[in-house]
Amino acid sequence: MNDPYSVLGVKPDASDDEIKRAYRDLARKYHPDNYQNNPLADLAEEKMKEINEAYDTINKMRSGGGGYSGGGGYSGGGYQGSYHHQQYNSSQSASLYNQVRQAINMNDLGRAEQLLRTAPTQDAEWHFLTGSLAYRKGWLDEALQHIQTACNMAPSNAEYRQALLMMRQGGQAYRPYGYGNSPDACDLCTACMCLNCMCGGCGN
Amino acid sequence: MFGYVRPWRDELKVCQDRDYQALYCGLCRTLGRRHGLVARMFLNYDFTFLAMLLDGGRPETTRERCPAWLWCRKKTCAATAGLDGAADAATILSYWKLRDTVADSSFWRGLPARFLSRLLRRGYRKAAAARPVFDGTVRDCLEELTALEKDNCPSMDRTADTFARLLAAAAPPTGEAARDRATEQLLYHLGRWIYLVDAWDDLEADQKTGAYNPILARFPAGADRDYLRTTLRHSLNLARSAMALLELGHWEATVENILYLGLPAVEELVFTGRWKAVNHRDRRQDP
Repeated sequence: MNDPYSVLGVKPDASDDEIKRAYRDLARKYHPDNYQNNPLADLAEEKMKEINEAYDTINKMRSGGGGYSGGGGYSGGGYQGSYHHQQYNSSQSASLYNQVRQAINMNDLGRAEQLLRTAPTQDAEWHFLTGSLAYRKGWLDEALQHIQTACNMAPSNAEYRQALLMMRQGGQAYRPYGYGNSPDACDLCTACMCLNCMCGGCGN
Repeated sequence: MFGYVRPWRDELKVCQDRDYQALYCGLCRTLGRRHGLVARMFLNYDFTFLAMLLDGGRPETTRERCPAWLWCRKKTCAATAGLDGAADAATILSYWKLRDTVADSSFWRGLPARFLSRLLRRGYRKAAAARPVFDGTVRDCLEELTALEKDNCPSMDRTADTFARLLAAAAPPTGEAARDRATEQLLYHLGRWIYLVDAWDDLEADQKTGAYNPILARFPAGADRDYLRTTLRHSLNLARSAMALLELGHWEATVENILYLGLPAVEELVFTGRWKAVNHRDRRQDP
């Protein structure tokens, strides 16, 4: 295993607080929420595991000195990058859709596409899976359209609704400290505009 | 290419800005060394970004005479291992873009591009020999794109996909599966973003001339600005989540600046119609 201190990016003589802060920052960065349905979710999960292990190792090493107080709060087990199993009316499409979900989870997009083409009907689940497949490919516009259709056809399905909400938000990613939220973006726009005015003024 | 991929320099530290400028000059110098003076004319910011992704090492700098100042002035040039790969990719793409323009235009209109591509051919051959796989991908993707444009393809994802796949292939494989996957996703969504932002930038012109525009084809009744910006933000978020998985070493803060500040600023300028003016002004200043 790698040196736990270098995994957390701290020096071996860092204080307990510094280590905790470094751990929290990294856990925030690789948090499963930032990688929902993301094709790279497995890599983020691996990173998360690595940091958790490093943090535990350091705490165990230091617990002899009495500095350690309690766990960090993030556990790797909370999130499953895979789709849930669902019940369907028709057993034939049920097994087909399960195969599609499996193929998508294993990143075998070609197979998922082929399977979806053989589906007898285009019901809500078909649209949802087609949308999920498009999302994996990075085709975000078509993904949104299909997930929207799925939601229209089955408005009570929580899984579809959640996916639609995520798409409408434009996804989510970790934001490092200092690259703020919308206020910063606003500042940016005004800064651009100011520059532009000055430029226009001088140009004449 | 397009020159959209640049940092928001107000928010760079002085040392980061200095290194970024040195890398830009270093890319120019590498283009000259590997592919000749003509290749240097196609220098742009986008491939400086690629060079940062390819190598995280601390750059070594030298002082070199700059042809843009008629060799009178010296500039600091950075040298990193990523520059060779970025320079090869830049020349291959510049060459095929020129050939694409030649194929798309009438004889007289295509003449300047024909002339430039002729001048670039020697450099291109060297670059293609170094990166045969990328060369093939660029050719295939641009051919696909031309075919989709001719069919007036109504799916903007499908046309954006050709350019995104092209850019995703720009990073040579390192053999580390995790790193390659993350780099590929980052570049794919950067490519998608570039393609759609450029499409918006050309929207008015294409409306007048009747040329193919993926946004017009997707929204024949009028483009939904908010919808487009959401899908662009989504691509940026997917690129950012890929970046978080990469170890970018020395360039991490600059790449972060580009993805979190530089690209949104460019997008804002394009969507408010001020991009061309600002870009023109920037070009007159040096990086």
